[in-house]
Amino acid sequence: MNNARKAANGTTADCAVFQEQLPSLFESNEDLSAQEHLKTCNNCSALVRDLEYIAQQAKLLLPIHDPSPEVWENIQTALRKEPTRAK
Amino acid sequence: MSLSSKDLATTPGPTAPAKAPNQHLRRNPPIAGEAEAIQKAQAGDGASFEILYALHKRRVYSLCLRMLGNVAEAEDLTQEAFLQLYRKIATFRGDSAFSTWLHRLAVNVVLMHLRKKGLPQVSLEETLEPSQEDGPRKDIGARDLTLSGSVDRVTLERAIENLPPGYRLVFVLHDVEGYEHNEIAGMLECSIGNSKSQLHKARMKLRDLLKSGQRKEAVL
Repeated sequence: MNNARKAANGTTADCAVFQEQLPSLFESNEDLSAQEHLKTCNNCSALVRDLEYIAQQAKLLLPIHDPSPEVWENIQTALRKEPTRAK
Repeated sequence: MSLSSKDLATTPGPTAPAKAPNQHLRRNPPIAGEAEAIQKAQAGDGASFEILYALHKRRVYSLCLRMLGNVAEAEDLTQEAFLQLYRKIATFRGDSAFSTWLHRLAVNVVLMHLRKKGLPQVSLEETLEPSQEDGPRKDIGARDLTLSGSVDRVTLERAIENLPPGYRLVFVLHDVEGYEHNEIAGMLECSIGNSKSQLHKARMKLRDLLKSGQRKEAVL
């Protein structure tokens, strides 16, 4: 039952094994809540919830930043030096 | 920045649309007037090119800023991306959405810039690893706070800015921009497994950053 022994931070050897597998589990798109370890481990359940939440929130980030007007001015200046394209 | 007309080989290529176009469609809805502007810009019409700039500057700049975490560099590379667009727009054939094509061009401009700077995270995959102190801890536990429902956009943006560059690149490309691991591996010249591993570490590090931010708020 060594695997079940908790370290001071609440994790077990099972947690280490589970967390090693996490990258591939996330990529597999399977339902992680079905994982046996998560049924009994609050730490890893919270970890999975957080990582899923971060990925979800990242997808919602929209382009919100605008370049300064100088960028277009610089582009115009540079384009004046470009060879004219055939029309 | 250099305005040299040297071909930096940053064009996605007229016959090489993104491998997973549907993934990008969520961010690439059709834009009214864009098709006409593209056609005219391809024929050399400056006013139409300006329309394309106005339509896409925010997205290109936001991408550059998130990948680089630096306003001055992001503005320089936005400028470079649009100059590349001007030079290459005639090669756009419409095999993918224009915004997907331009987006990939901008990603390539940023990666080319990073390679020129000699940053290791886009060349040798073993050096994608940030230093130990930059990396995420294995597990910080979840005994005090959970993130769910508690992170606003500004906080997340700031945490992404604070990621080590190697993590930030993969996280932005995959989780924010929607590229697949095989595409990222091709762009960064690393293995697919390495891309997956870096993404996981980036998310773990973000969790660290977000939780430590919450702890500080809780103390105040």
